[in-house]
Amino acid sequence: MTDTSKIDIRGVTKNYGDVRAVNEVDLVIEGGSYCCMIGPSGCGKTTLLRMIAGHETPSAGQILIGAEDMAHARTGNRGTALMFQNYALFPHLSLTDNVAFSLKVKGQPTAERREKAREMLDRVQLLHLADRVPSELSGGQQQRVALARALITNPRVLLLDEPLSALDEFLRLRMRVELKRLQNELGITFVHVTHTQPEAIALADQVVVMDHGTVEQAASPREIYDRPFSPYIARFMGGQNVLEARVTALNGEVGEATGANGVVYDVHDTAGLEMEQTIRLSIRRDKIAMKSADRPDRNAASGTVMNTEYQGTFVKVSLRTETGEEFIVYQDDAEFFANPSHVGETVNAHWDGALNHLLRGQNTSSGNPLEE
Amino acid sequence: MSASNAKRGVSFYLLAAFFTLFVVFLYGPMLIIFVLSFQGETGGLTFPMRGTSLHWFSDLFSSSRYGDLAGGFRRSTGLGLMSMTITAVCCLFAGLAFRSRFWGSGTLFYLCIVSLVVPGILLGLGISQFFQILGFRLQWWLSGLGAHLSWTLPFGLLIMFAVLNRYDNAWDEAARDAGATPRQILGWVTVPILFPGLIAVALFGFTLSYDELPRSILTVGGKNTLPIEISNMTTNVTTPALYAIGTVTSFVSFAVIALAFGLIAFIQKRRARA
Amino acid sequence: MSGSKLVPYVQAAPLAIIMFTMVGIPLITVLVISFWDSDGISLYPMFRWENYTEILSRGLVYDLFLKTFIYAAITLVLTILIGFTCSYFLVFHVKNLKWQIALLLLCTVPFWTSNIIRMVSWIPFLGREGLFNSTLIQMGLIDAPLDFLLYSDFAVILTYVHLFALFMLVPIFNSMAKINPNLIEAAQDAGAGSWMILRDIIIPLSRTGIALGSIFVLTLVMGDFFVVRVMSGGQSASVVSAMKNNIDQLYYPQASAMAIMLIAVVLLIVAAILRVVDIRSELAK
Repeated sequence: MTDTSKIDIRGVTKNYGDVRAVNEVDLVIEGGSYCCMIGPSGCGKTTLLRMIAGHETPSAGQILIGAEDMAHARTGNRGTALMFQNYALFPHLSLTDNVAFSLKVKGQPTAERREKAREMLDRVQLLHLADRVPSELSGGQQQRVALARALITNPRVLLLDEPLSALDEFLRLRMRVELKRLQNELGITFVHVTHTQPEAIALADQVVVMDHGTVEQAASPREIYDRPFSPYIARFMGGQNVLEARVTALNGEVGEATGANGVVYDVHDTAGLEMEQTIRLSIRRDKIAMKSADRPDRNAASGTVMNTEYQGTFVKVSLRTETGEEFIVYQDDAEFFANPSHVGETVNAHWDGALNHLLRGQNTSSGNPLEE
Repeated sequence: MSASNAKRGVSFYLLAAFFTLFVVFLYGPMLIIFVLSFQGETGGLTFPMRGTSLHWFSDLFSSSRYGDLAGGFRRSTGLGLMSMTITAVCCLFAGLAFRSRFWGSGTLFYLCIVSLVVPGILLGLGISQFFQILGFRLQWWLSGLGAHLSWTLPFGLLIMFAVLNRYDNAWDEAARDAGATPRQILGWVTVPILFPGLIAVALFGFTLSYDELPRSILTVGGKNTLPIEISNMTTNVTTPALYAIGTVTSFVSFAVIALAFGLIAFIQKRRARA
Repeated sequence: MSGSKLVPYVQAAPLAIIMFTMVGIPLITVLVISFWDSDGISLYPMFRWENYTEILSRGLVYDLFLKTFIYAAITLVLTILIGFTCSYFLVFHVKNLKWQIALLLLCTVPFWTSNIIRMVSWIPFLGREGLFNSTLIQMGLIDAPLDFLLYSDFAVILTYVHLFALFMLVPIFNSMAKINPNLIEAAQDAGAGSWMILRDIIIPLSRTGIALGSIFVLTLVMGDFFVVRVMSGGQSASVVSAMKNNIDQLYYPQASAMAIMLIAVVLLIVAAILRVVDIRSELAK
């Protein structure tokens, strides 16, 4: 199964007139894995998904599924099934006939395909509604019908276009678990487009972060979250502070870079760096200690508390540094309340310099299309 | 504003009275001629009724004073059915085409608007002269049909736009994803989903053609349609037979409307059934 | 891939072909003929401006246009008042959607019946011995029947309003029904009175409907020859009814020239309305 459901995307580009929606993307999605594609709206993730499904034809490049070139394979005949964002259930057909639709296309006799459709509906616990039409169903039920309709073709690859976005928070978390369970059970490749970071991190074996039509980083969720490739990824995935600094020492085992405020940061991964070069480092917000008495001059930040937000297990403390940048600390709640910071107070924070992560990518966009 | 259901202010009753008056204004005169068409044999064009009879209805079909009513009715029904079919089919596909921008789409749209806007008799003049310049004879089923289509198609297209507003293109894609061919998508998804709207387009196609007068006058050639016959009657018939033909043709229209609405209601009900 | 790009052309082709042969070419034909000559028997192809200069030099044509404009303006005002009031009632006072649709359909049904018959149906009501006059006489309100009711400008305009009010009602209803009720509640919360809500919210948001309805009503009135001929008893004429007389006498070029001028005027008015309100984009909502 795994080999036949591997997706290999080679140099794929998609132009709409002058707009390049997807720009020379190379990406391998291992067979049987759960892949989440994430990025701000307009980053090309949905276009890429639709090209895998065959609803769009690449302007250039190749898409292989299980080593077969899909260039000339018709939609519906390439072993993929797409689950649409708003489900796109046929309003004039009963649930049974909705699910049985692809079997009708294949020319199966009515009784046979209805029987199979009912089995599939049973599998998503909707057999009791088999004769209803979609408009009589709740959002969560419609989602399960859409899933059943997609799965009845026994696809090698299931493509999901923002499958959870139309559900409320509670249902979303439940369906998330169900999707993961289903993928484990079926062992086929799931490609899931989302714009919600926690969803991608919770579900995926492989997270693909996109921006402006290109793949910025494709890796495991842990890698993406812990070792982001670029400032853009660090900011978009969240949980990181991004610091800008100039390389000031490279001769020792550990290099040094100095920020605009004179603070020195350790740089562990110095390969290829040059003196005086501007670099960016990320440091996880939850690895920072607060309230050091003196202002440290190494691997540290200090600033005025702008806001504190209680988040249950931790407190999000927002600082504004002397250089006017935002610096955020996730402080353990017990620790915070033992010695709370107040808005307007100036505080010092520091961390273990070994945790500084060099961001090699140059993409510094915020990931928010409104801010560009 | 007394918009809440809880309390209906004076304005509600004033507006309701106005609306009722408007409905009476719309239907009242028609009801009068329906009643007067059953006028007794000696009765005239106005009240009082001198008895009731079906005299004027039978007079319509037996007397030759009223022109070729039966032939006009046949031709009008035929034209109506042809216009209905062509309008429904052309507007369905054109509506689907207009979902994407294509070269000339703006021109085509404005041509349709122009056709709605120009005086009908003038378009009739243009069509008849165009046919004559080409040396074609004017025929009700050719030039007449064309004139009717110039009226029904733009209307049908506008209604089709409204119908397609509620059509989700993802339905097409979902069918394509299941492997359906374009023809299967059309037959199993697009047309069934749009069917109630298509009935509405067809209804317009039939009734607009069935009652069309200004575009027909110069384009039907020697054989008249029913509205032309009736319009001739308005100037030279001074008996309740005029009302009788009005009752008959209105009855046909009402029957067609009822049929269309019945069909739409039936389909909607079948879809909503549990 | 190139196949799918051709699809819309194939789909639009039947409509395009019919519209081109039955609207495009005939209109061009009318334009061409308007420069020809005719003696009431045959047409003589040539290019001359006389048909236009002749029409413009006669005072009659200005009277005809004026009369047509007056008919159109009065009908427009009345149908807007009726259409707006009825839509307002349906949208904001009839809250139940089923009732709303049922009442709207009740108004729409006459649209699908014969205009000639609907026009004729006023005769037994308005005539000298008609229902209205005889009722008034019986009630003792008048001694002699009122003559101005039938075969008069009054009858013409009454018939226009009767026939065309629907064309105003339906578009206004459509745009009014799209007004978000929250807007009105927000205005009420802000302390706006009924009049202010009407003036500042409902009327501006209904303007697409009013514009679309106005285009329909204006063009229908300006294109009519039959109602004005019958209901005025032959006493009044509009541009098109005069044109129809020319046509009946086989003066096609003269009729065509008048038609071209009328079309130009009508298209100017429509273009002016479209400039104010972008109907196509609003329809797409």
